[in-house]
Amino acid sequence: MMLHIKNGVVIDPKNNVNAEKMDVFVKDGKIVDESDVKREDCKVIDASNKLVVAGGVDMHAHIAGSKINTGREMRPEEMRVVRNIAGKFRAAIGRVLLTSPAIGYEYSKMGYTTAFEAAQPPVGALHTHEELDAIPLVDKGALPVFGNWHLVFKYVAEKDIEKLKTFIAWALERTKGFGVKVVNPGGVEAWMYGGNCKSLDDSVPGFDVTPREIITSLIQATEELKLNHSVHLHCNNLGTPGNYQTTLETMKLAGKFSNDKRQVLHVTHVQFNSYAGSSWRDVGSGAAEIAKYVNSVDNITIDMGQPIFGHATAMTGDAPFQFTLHKLTGARWSNKDSEIEGGAGIVPLIYLPKNPIHALQWAIGLELGLLIDSDKVVLSTDYPNGGPFTEYPYIMAMLMSKKMREKELERVSPYVQKATNLAAIDNEKTLFELIHMTRSLPSRVLGLDNKGHLGIGADADIAIYDLNPENVDTSNDFETVYKTFKKAVYTIKGGEIVVKDGELVKDLWGTTYWVDATGKVSMEAIDADLDEYFANYYSLERSNYGVEEAWLRNATKLIMG
Amino acid sequence: MIVLKPKVDFAISVEAEITPELATMSVEEISKFQVYYGKEKVELGELFEISKEGDDAKLVLDGDFGKVKWVGARMEDGEIVVKGDIGDHCGAYMKGGKITVEGDAKDWLGAEMKGGEITVKGNARNYMGSAYWGDATGMSGGKITVEGNVFNYIGEKMSGGEMVIKGNAGDFIGTEMKGGTITIHGNCGFVGGDMKDGVIKVKGNFEVVPGFKRVEDGFEGDVNSGGKGKIIQL
Repeated sequence: MMLHIKNGVVIDPKNNVNAEKMDVFVKDGKIVDESDVKREDCKVIDASNKLVVAGGVDMHAHIAGSKINTGREMRPEEMRVVRNIAGKFRAAIGRVLLTSPAIGYEYSKMGYTTAFEAAQPPVGALHTHEELDAIPLVDKGALPVFGNWHLVFKYVAEKDIEKLKTFIAWALERTKGFGVKVVNPGGVEAWMYGGNCKSLDDSVPGFDVTPREIITSLIQATEELKLNHSVHLHCNNLGTPGNYQTTLETMKLAGKFSNDKRQVLHVTHVQFNSYAGSSWRDVGSGAAEIAKYVNSVDNITIDMGQPIFGHATAMTGDAPFQFTLHKLTGARWSNKDSEIEGGAGIVPLIYLPKNPIHALQWAIGLELGLLIDSDKVVLSTDYPNGGPFTEYPYIMAMLMSKKMREKELERVSPYVQKATNLAAIDNEKTLFELIHMTRSLPSRVLGLDNKGHLGIGADADIAIYDLNPENVDTSNDFETVYKTFKKAVYTIKGGEIVVKDGELVKDLWGTTYWVDATGKVSMEAIDADLDEYFANYYSLERSNYGVEEAWLRNATKLIMG
Repeated sequence: MIVLKPKVDFAISVEAEITPELATMSVEEISKFQVYYGKEKVELGELFEISKEGDDAKLVLDGDFGKVKWVGARMEDGEIVVKGDIGDHCGAYMKGGKITVEGDAKDWLGAEMKGGEITVKGNARNYMGSAYWGDATGMSGGKITVEGNVFNYIGEKMSGGEMVIKGNAGDFIGTEMKGGTITIHGNCGFVGGDMKDGVIKVKGNFEVVPGFKRVEDGFEGDVNSGGKGKIIQL
């Protein structure tokens, strides 16, 4: 099908288009030049006075795999909100923890067209991909976790970067993974003995390695392999007062690496790692220090991990943190073990505006979003850890309006005034910046050249909103901004109209991206080690490990070569 | 007063959140009220004969409503009289008013109710006045009276209000109970597991879970969860 999106007001940060009236043409799922289509064959979409942007890209959410599924099992109370009755579309339910179809539908209604699962237990890769295959309307990918894998420890301890590179390539191929996720490196292994690695130099029990060495080696290996995406790091010491210093130290590890195309380290849901103070009694914000450092370097990006007041579910590969959270809140807790690769935990959570700690977390997320250069900070709620992704429009509106922040500050705990600087921040991001933070920036961070922009050759993933950037005053019209971004007038996925006026009109399946770097290494180098580890430590045989490409509904292989 | 009579024997369950508020509408409006018959949305008038006598906030359900769920859910005022049996979730989350069931009630009667009164002349089943799965608090106010017997998991996480069962009850009565009173005139099984507060009175035989200690007038516990719940033999 060919489309002619007529008279829209386009914001396309990657191509330096800021609120220009122009037409967009689509053919065979791609954005094409006007000369490539026959106008009379095009379906015309009148976008007069409407904002035309690329489809949203969520580079960090937990949307598939054993964690969210355990969350669904242990939270039946989350499953009582009916979003769609089975009929033309699939049944979709969930309050914040959504079922797989609901995840695809809700992203799409909001104008998002790509979402990445940010922590795939490698041994649970098949489950993760089965669930990704059940999410309609968005393109997907999954980041397997490496930071507590015994084989990673082994090569890091042996300082054998070549073998580590080979191992990463092998693991990405076997798990159909997209990049290198690292969660509390070493700490989850220590948790197997009831401990944790709270600083970069804590030794991992049973292995002669430290978090510092693990992170540095994984960055080096990832950069030498030139993977699409950099190391994607959930820092040590998450959720602890005073942890912003660990975060800063960790960020400095990226100092000696650089890459022309993208960051060399993406630090994720930084809000949870930006606490000052020495205990929960005097906890404060370390956001300003984090922002200062991130702004001063050009090889690090972050995402916010913004909490949204209301229901959430904490689920991370950081098993020891989840246990701490369970002890702190008294809420239900589930622990997951993924053999010699790490683990995870799940704890239900509710963010209350009057709770000083929750209000502080909320304020720190916003501080990071406001203080950090919009070319370095991606919007995220770390769904469902900070809350629902369906509230991204809330974050967008908040970052663009001081007036809205003042209004919201009135309803939160006054502790925020004491422990953070949020009230004094006058910065208001522009619509152009927010479009970048939700589209072109996450695409660049992931290394997906064909996503997040409207240039010729890009995927025809387009969102149209009922908002004319020329007439809207984002500082004052925050309610309009919020409502507008909740419901796209059109969502176009791969050239097909899937949402119209915020309602689903067509069901289709996106693709799952995975990265194949096996051509850059020689697999024989680690063959004997793999055989040994599968024979001695895994509960399954090497020949049964992993996911074949043919098993995925619709896979796209990105070959590194 | 509104009277509803089923037009057919329902093959599958009907989910009809109907309350005495219907009495404020005309018969025509009531017959257009949307309910689910299985997964299909249908109008009340397709399933029931509807008649109206006067404007008082009263709903009379005349016939077998055993497959009709959620009757009186979230009601705040008025009266419902069920001449036969009533389906699951009757009076769930209700805040006020009165429900009388002349036949039997099914599961989840008065679940998470906050106020009002429910009387059942026959029997009720499981989860009466309980919290829905995953929720923190069950019945927190009001009164449920059952003339007959009930099944298991009665008053789970109950935090207030009163429950009277004239017949026998099953196992796991008042589990994780936080307040309120349950009175059972007949026999029952295990009582009070993980109880934190509140009172359970039993006239007949019952079994105490380990974790209750003997006190002057009965048992206190559950000590495993630092509870101060009371079980009293009448």
